Amino acid sequence: MSSAPIAPLAGIVAVAALSVATVGVFRRGGGPARARFLGHRGVSAGLCWLLFVGAVALLAPLLAPYRPSRQLDIVALADHAPSWQYLLGTDLLSRDLLSRLLYGARVSLGIGALAMAVAATIGAFVGVVSGYFQRSVDSVLMRIVDLGLSIPRTFVILVIVALAERVSLGGLVLVLGLTGWFGTSRLVRAEVLAIRSSGFVTSARALGATPWRIVWRDIVPNATAPLIVSAALGVGNVILLEAALSFLGAGVQAPQASWGNMIADGRDQLVTAPWTTLFPGLAILLAVMALNAVGDGLRDALDPRGATP
Amino acid sequence: MGMRVMRRALAGMLTVLAALTLIFVAIHLAPGTPFMPRGDRPPFDAATVARLRAQFGLDQPLVTQYGHYMSALAHGQLGESFAQRRPVAALLAEAIPNTLLLASAALAIEFLLGLAIGVFQAAHRGSRWDTALTNLTLLFYSLPTFWFGLVLLLCFGQWLHWLPVGGIVDPITYASSDWFARVGDRAVHLVLPALTLGLVGAAGTARFQRSAMLDALAQDFVRVARANGVSERRLIWDHALRNALLPYITLLGLALPFLLTGAVVVETVFAWPGMGKLAADAIATRDYPVVTATTLLATVLVVIGSACADVGYAAADPRARATASP
Amino acid sequence: MTAGNLMTMHAVSRLRCWVIAPLLGAMTITSCARRAGCAGDYCGTVVFAAPGEPTTLLPPVTDEALDRDVFGQLFLKLADVGPQAATIGDSSFEPALAARWDWPTPLTLRFHLDPRARWHDGTPVTASDVVFTWQAYTDSAVDSPERPALQHIVAVTADDSATVTFRFDHRYPEMFFDAVYHMRVLPAHLLRTIPRSTWKGAAFGRAPIGDGPYRFARWTPGQSLELTADSTFFLGRPHIRRLIWRFTADLSVAVTQVIAGEADALQVLVTPANIVRAAATAHLALYPYPGSVYTTLSFNLRANGDSTRAHPVLGDAEVRRALVLATDRQRMAQSVFAGHAQVPPGPISQMWHALWFADLPVPAYDTAAADRLLDTDGWRRGADGTRERGGVRLSFRIAVPSSSGSRKQYAQLIQEELHLVGVAVSIDEMEAATMQDRERTGAYDAAIESWNTDPSPASGIPDAWITGGGGNFGHYSSLRFDAQVHAALTAETPAASLAAWHDALATLSADAPAVMLYALDNVAAIDKRISGVQLRPDEWWADVWRWQIAPGRLAERDRVVQ
Repeated sequence: MSSAPIAPLAGIVAVAALSVATVGVFRRGGGPARARFLGHRGVSAGLCWLLFVGAVALLAPLLAPYRPSRQLDIVALADHAPSWQYLLGTDLLSRDLLSRLLYGARVSLGIGALAMAVAATIGAFVGVVSGYFQRSVDSVLMRIVDLGLSIPRTFVILVIVALAERVSLGGLVLVLGLTGWFGTSRLVRAEVLAIRSSGFVTSARALGATPWRIVWRDIVPNATAPLIVSAALGVGNVILLEAALSFLGAGVQAPQASWGNMIADGRDQLVTAPWTTLFPGLAILLAVMALNAVGDGLRDALDPRGATP
Repeated sequence: MGMRVMRRALAGMLTVLAALTLIFVAIHLAPGTPFMPRGDRPPFDAATVARLRAQFGLDQPLVTQYGHYMSALAHGQLGESFAQRRPVAALLAEAIPNTLLLASAALAIEFLLGLAIGVFQAAHRGSRWDTALTNLTLLFYSLPTFWFGLVLLLCFGQWLHWLPVGGIVDPITYASSDWFARVGDRAVHLVLPALTLGLVGAAGTARFQRSAMLDALAQDFVRVARANGVSERRLIWDHALRNALLPYITLLGLALPFLLTGAVVVETVFAWPGMGKLAADAIATRDYPVVTATTLLATVLVVIGSACADVGYAAADPRARATASP
Repeated sequence: MTAGNLMTMHAVSRLRCWVIAPLLGAMTITSCARRAGCAGDYCGTVVFAAPGEPTTLLPPVTDEALDRDVFGQLFLKLADVGPQAATIGDSSFEPALAARWDWPTPLTLRFHLDPRARWHDGTPVTASDVVFTWQAYTDSAVDSPERPALQHIVAVTADDSATVTFRFDHRYPEMFFDAVYHMRVLPAHLLRTIPRSTWKGAAFGRAPIGDGPYRFARWTPGQSLELTADSTFFLGRPHIRRLIWRFTADLSVAVTQVIAGEADALQVLVTPANIVRAAATAHLALYPYPGSVYTTLSFNLRANGDSTRAHPVLGDAEVRRALVLATDRQRMAQSVFAGHAQVPPGPISQMWHALWFADLPVPAYDTAAADRLLDTDGWRRGADGTRERGGVRLSFRIAVPSSSGSRKQYAQLIQEELHLVGVAVSIDEMEAATMQDRERTGAYDAAIESWNTDPSPASGIPDAWITGGGGNFGHYSSLRFDAQVHAALTAETPAASLAAWHDALATLSADAPAVMLYALDNVAAIDKRISGVQLRPDEWWADVWRWQIAPGRLAERDRVVQ
């Protein structure tokens, strides 16, 4: 109940992040980048799909034919096959699958975007600080990153979930975000190191600019490109991870719908009511595909020579 | 050079130690005890749990327990599983071969198939095949693994009856079979889980390989070679591929540890008794010694894996020696 | 049917070969050639799909179903309950290790062991084994879960090598049941030297030697466990030659294996989806039998985390009664289990059929009555529809283990239903370990609990519901109920005992410390080639040694030669 306000907030963040990324491309690369981006195979399709899903998620209360946790008729309408009245069928609790899918989009995309926002913010901060100040700050931070990367992520999350007893939606976002920034920080650090050794930072320093001013004015804008790319690709990963966690019983809690826990709920009816697993699975697949396509496009547009893995 | 290796080894050991400590503390602080009845039995009452905790030394301060654990570990003792009442080393000895089998099969698919597709696409860049494969790899790369596993299980196990629906051998015939039949039996059971993990991984590899090849083909020395009349085939195989293979040393070093412990979900879907499943179950049942032992193993693997990747990379590419991170 | 079935199985194995061959080269094809082998009445391999793995096969240290499943085939009891699982008196019990018994005095019971009984190493089973067994089961070092059930037996002595006498501290209806049901006789000559405090991890528990119809063959951890028939078993040679438990991670994989023909038997399908799938499978027969599990929504009558004061909402008996009235349990059972579960008149499983009194005042579903009850009790609907009284909202949290699909389903059904009468419920899915901790420490409002019972209500009900009972986590306390249970346990006659149980359940129903949600029907799926199938609610596979496969219906796996 307490986690309800997060859903629309997350949707807004998702859309905002997408627009910032796109605007970033236009500002930085100018015409050629824009052309490369929009001309990229799959980008326009991916963008359209993401905007569609994002809009649908925001408008879920208007579009959903039923309240997502409403049990229509627990005996007569449980596991009802798709029909004109229930376009995607119903699940084992006789809830309308379409309505749940629409509301689930808010949760899944929201978790993906918010967790990635958390991860990207921390990762960028650590990367910039580590790369710019180097020495002991750098080695301490990079040892922490080593530590974070040394324990498999699923494993860490399962332990945290065990520790936290029950995980609210906000908690899940934090857990996913706090375990997802290590790679990003390395990426940003490498970029900062490269920029730092380049000419214009040296000259800015010679002109007497303070370190923070250099970081803020010169380094951050230039390090944004790989960050945006890795974030765009990362959102899809987080959505997949949330689904896997739900499958292991450690994801979004009932009765709130997420695409991941919808698959988990439908698993036992995979044969008798395949639609309960199939549709949320397809929703994840398409959304992640779109995110990856856009991520690819961003990468190619911002760095025509291809990016680091 | 010797100093650097030493420093690297020391840093690696510290990382492992820190990870172990972190997980040790976290799992011991997590609510719940390892003493629970399975399968719809009422929980033990408070007195019983207190007695069992005392019996196994879990009532002592965490620092003391940590000290005991570390000193046992220093003597090579991993302790005994609470859930199975057997040495943790025995559990690991059973799970590791299963995991290695699945991981190596998945890795083989991931790299060989991924490489082949990536090279093929680079050689035929811009063609309809390239487009189709780009879309296909994008699709596979975006699949939720467990969902894919479930769908494969449904199709090939349940509907077509071509392949077994889980487990690693056929318990009915395995014991009485000859060597060839045993290998065959294992292979048949391996197909679906290895494909699930391998195909998704192969899509990632192919995507990476394609762009790496295109990068390489765009470089000056390849242009020069082309201008000198070197055939496109030789350009692909000799020049571009050799250059694009370099990052694989890194990727391999990073992928192996993941496959050893990160395949929890696939192991769950296919009832594959491997490391991931062991670790996840141990966390759920608060089987402290197993949780810490699997953490230890996983982190050691990651550290060794990334060290090997760096060393291999440095050996393969002289330019990297100067810039590689400490 | 049979022929078609066999054809399919061959087709499957041929297809498999077809799949392997390209993988491994032509050499494997030789191994796919059809096996000739065992023929006649004593062939047969039954593969059980086991959704989990045993921990040990040494009986006194464990009472988990997965363990009992297997060691039940290895170790005999003195006598066993019959198919009806009646526990009162001794008339319905079947001889096992004891060929007969008599009562020299009202408080002593004498067993005469079957002289043909042998341990699988050839040693005869003697009275001193029985004495050793009782000592082990009651030894605090072994810490057997059965120990409390043996508290009324004060001595077990060997009269001679084939006769053993049990002495009780008082007379009660289930004396015989207690004497024979909880203990499986152990081989003293093999276990005497093993320190009892180490039994939980003893090597014997992973390679046991017993006296039952089956002997231990092999156990491959994480994969399977195999037993082979003891062809000299003194009660009759088992027809099925091999029993294999195939471990899987969870129920849905187990179901798929039975449907795919990779396993022959699964004791309980649980969900309607599984039952539908199994019913649609030509080679499977379904066997319904009474279940041993009951599930309740149990309330914590004390405040969440503070057992010194009453729960602000659930401490109010009127609220609890209203919650019972507002829960349409029949419909929920219909929805979740498609009728394969009954709504019980108390915390009782279907196994305790003697306690399903038709005349118990079980409240029916009636939201209007629930509304009235809450209105008169002073709970008024607030602005958001949730009732309030004196600033306290009528809301509580339900704890449910994330591992149980049906219980999660029930939690959501209850949440929606109670919403209608102005009760706000939130659901806490948590790991089983966490949930048990919370129950023990009282840090919960309400929990959906499933309890597996043995054939006697005497062990389950007191523990969970009387004042100070070890499993009474919700602190329900009624002197009246306690006295009624005591009367039931100590009554001289079966009729008096039943009457006392009736009163006790009526008290419980009126006090409503829990909503009695369901008592499961079990439905087993077993391959049709197996005949003579009998399932026992308390121990599914207890009669497996009497099952058979007609020689004409043997499948490929039945003929495999070791």
